[in-house]
Amino acid sequence: MLEASGLSAGYLGENVVEGVNVQVAAGQAVAVIGSNGAGKTTLFRALCGMLPVSAGRVRFDGEDITGRPAHRVARAGLAYVPAERHLFPGMSVRENLLLGAYPGRPDPSAFELVLDLFPRLEERRKQPAGSLSGGEQQMLAVGRALMSRPRLLMLDEPTTGLAPKLARSAYEALQALKETGVTLLVAEQQVPLALSLADRGYVLETGRIRLEGASEDLERNPEVRRAYLGVA
Amino acid sequence: MTAEFDTTVESEGAPLGVSARPPRSLTRAFWPIAVTGAVLALVPLWLGDSRLMMGLAVDALVFGAYAIAFNVIFGSTNQLFLCVGALAGVGGYASAILADTAKLSMTVGLALATALATALGGLLSWIAVRRSLGVIFTGIVTLAFSLSFANLVLGQRELTGGETGLVVAAGEGTFLRERVAAYYLFLGLLVVFLVVFRALERSHIGWAFRALRDSELAAELAGVDVARYRIYAGVIGSAMLGITGAVYAYSDGFISPSTFAFGHVDVRVLVMLAFGGLGTLLGPVVGTVVFAVLDELLIDFGQLRTVVYGLLIIALFLGFKRGAVPAVADLLRRLVRQARSRLGRQP
Amino acid sequence: MKAVALDGIVLGLQFGLLGVGMTLIYGLGGVLNLAYGQAAVLAAMVVAITLTAGAPALVATAAGLLAAAAGGVVIDRTLMLPVYHQRGEHRVLLGLLLTLGVAFVIDGLLLWRYPTGALRLEIGGEAVPILGVRMRVGSLLASGISLVVGAILLLFFRATTMGRAARSVIQDEVGARLVGINPAAVRTFIFALSGALAGLVAVTRSMTSPVSVTAGFDFTILALIVAVVGGLGSVAGAFLAGVLLGIVSTVSAFYIGQYITTIVLLAATALTIVMRPRGLLGR
Repeated sequence: MLEASGLSAGYLGENVVEGVNVQVAAGQAVAVIGSNGAGKTTLFRALCGMLPVSAGRVRFDGEDITGRPAHRVARAGLAYVPAERHLFPGMSVRENLLLGAYPGRPDPSAFELVLDLFPRLEERRKQPAGSLSGGEQQMLAVGRALMSRPRLLMLDEPTTGLAPKLARSAYEALQALKETGVTLLVAEQQVPLALSLADRGYVLETGRIRLEGASEDLERNPEVRRAYLGVA
Repeated sequence: MTAEFDTTVESEGAPLGVSARPPRSLTRAFWPIAVTGAVLALVPLWLGDSRLMMGLAVDALVFGAYAIAFNVIFGSTNQLFLCVGALAGVGGYASAILADTAKLSMTVGLALATALATALGGLLSWIAVRRSLGVIFTGIVTLAFSLSFANLVLGQRELTGGETGLVVAAGEGTFLRERVAAYYLFLGLLVVFLVVFRALERSHIGWAFRALRDSELAAELAGVDVARYRIYAGVIGSAMLGITGAVYAYSDGFISPSTFAFGHVDVRVLVMLAFGGLGTLLGPVVGTVVFAVLDELLIDFGQLRTVVYGLLIIALFLGFKRGAVPAVADLLRRLVRQARSRLGRQP
Repeated sequence: MKAVALDGIVLGLQFGLLGVGMTLIYGLGGVLNLAYGQAAVLAAMVVAITLTAGAPALVATAAGLLAAAAGGVVIDRTLMLPVYHQRGEHRVLLGLLLTLGVAFVIDGLLLWRYPTGALRLEIGGEAVPILGVRMRVGSLLASGISLVVGAILLLFFRATTMGRAARSVIQDEVGARLVGINPAAVRTFIFALSGALAGLVAVTRSMTSPVSVTAGFDFTILALIVAVVGGLGSVAGAFLAGVLLGIVSTVSAFYIGQYITTIVLLAATALTIVMRPRGLLGR
């Protein structure tokens, strides 16, 4: 469904990620793991059009979307939830969700899906997004992205600022989401969580893909265990 | 399609670029001022016979002085003071009223008027700094001040002559009213302002100015009290404006709200500096000369003159960040360097 | 006193509409449109010319509004492009300077072509008593139009997709992109809308007193005052500020004087910036 080949991108002429090849098949959950500064966010921004690509191609469902502006990528069915979330703080939870469906009319079943997944949002429907707690904002960000019924959902470090319990329930929600057929691409520092959800994973280190494979294989890989799982 | 996120690396700290460090040696630093002064001193030899032309020349120098003051306030510390005319007007009206109505001597009137302008300008700076007003809010507040001053003058008709203007008795019969003498007086003032500007640049104050223009945050971290230096700039610039306005009132003999109006003064100063270069030493002078010539050429165009100014503002600020002349100078420097290296490579 | 207050409300509603256009452009594009008043005057002149040519009032008004809206679109699609490439303070400054230039160009052209131009719409009819005060039909019509348009605007921004989209761009432009909104398209639309609003204010104003071709900067300053006091970026804030300032302005002009009134309004603006920069209803 999503394919990046030879992707390089960066800021002010300097490449942060270089020659990255990533494949995400429909219905899969794929994790991109790496430590701070590895380039996960840069990669994701380049994939969805938030950042200009300096080399390489990005294909979504066979269509070349390299360099396409972010709002058109969103309309094509690729929803991105950045680490900073970028909610509309002065608007209510409900309004944020409604806008998620732009430009179409909000699909009532999409609403149902989101509120089922995140019952807390139902309680807070009328509250301004800026007044929500960190965990609730994360839920709202994901919920808003889901309103457009995306075929692929990209999440950048969805557990940022979440207490471990909330982080786990976030991934439970993502698992439930995966079961409804949404393809997932997740960037994550918390490797065990990510690998528990994902079918496949990529290890990104200083802007290049270091390792890739099925998540069980990665979990067993000694390098991964040493670097990311804290096992000697 | 451009990157929307605020990256951690600041592409350019300074909103309008940083100007180069002034020359170290005393002679290199000040000779341009001397030359400028000498050249401009020759103008009366050429135009001295025509009272009209000399009058225009004096006006040009006055605007040059305004431009240097604005250069100190905005060019040095990025405080958008849209009240250049008003501060000069404070100097002008205060000195005229104090001398004529309060019967104070011209010197005392001048001193008090300048002090008032300085205090008001300093106050504006202080407010902007205390409340951390960015460029736009500083601009709006100073614009509000400028328009309020204009309305105050218009409203207090008995004191200020209102819309019809004020005939200034003080200075009558003195050398100030002679166009050529006035020209040299204002030239002297201009040279003094240039010297002050250069001296500031070379001092620790100038260093602080450059630091805070480059990156306010970095400057604060380096220990520069950005607030204090901004107020310095505001005070010095306002003093310059006050003096100029006051001397103008005595020298010209007639002032009116339109003499110091935003549309008349501030806009012209902006265009002049857009031409000549913001933050540079001679930028105001270059701008003055160009503008004076342009004004003369366009005098028959009436309202179309405003159109030309508008187009100039657009073209200049679109094309050049810190001024047309510095950009051209930069380009020339680069061309010269290229030519030189090419010559060097030839066997 | 009642008459003065009612007059104040009439004026205030127009102030409000005027402020909305200005506050929208700032909220969406981070640009202070100093050519805003010229849009109003441009519309007024187009209406005046079309009327003199014999067209019916509604057609003339439509022509004026269209002209102002079209002008807005042209500016947004051409001059504003380099401005939008900038961020933060660079953008504000460049936008301010460029729109100032545009203001001079339009002002100069209009004054050159129609040095004594003015628009005056005579609305016939007997004065109508409202709350015991005889109000001219022109004032009532102007207020009525302002109220209706104001209500439509508020509804638009609260309850329609496009309106919500516009608000979202104001609140978080990146977030707006993420949900598929094209900020550039929204900005163009808002520029057009604000031009039309400016034109509408000129037309309604002309129902009570003539709008001269020299009124451009006065309109701009007024719009700026209302927008700042109401809170830059807030439509409801602009309306509220407009009505309040309209009443203050009329009362002050009646009891004290014209020049002091202007100073009072300017002082209100400066005080807002210094004491409460987010204005009445801004964030």
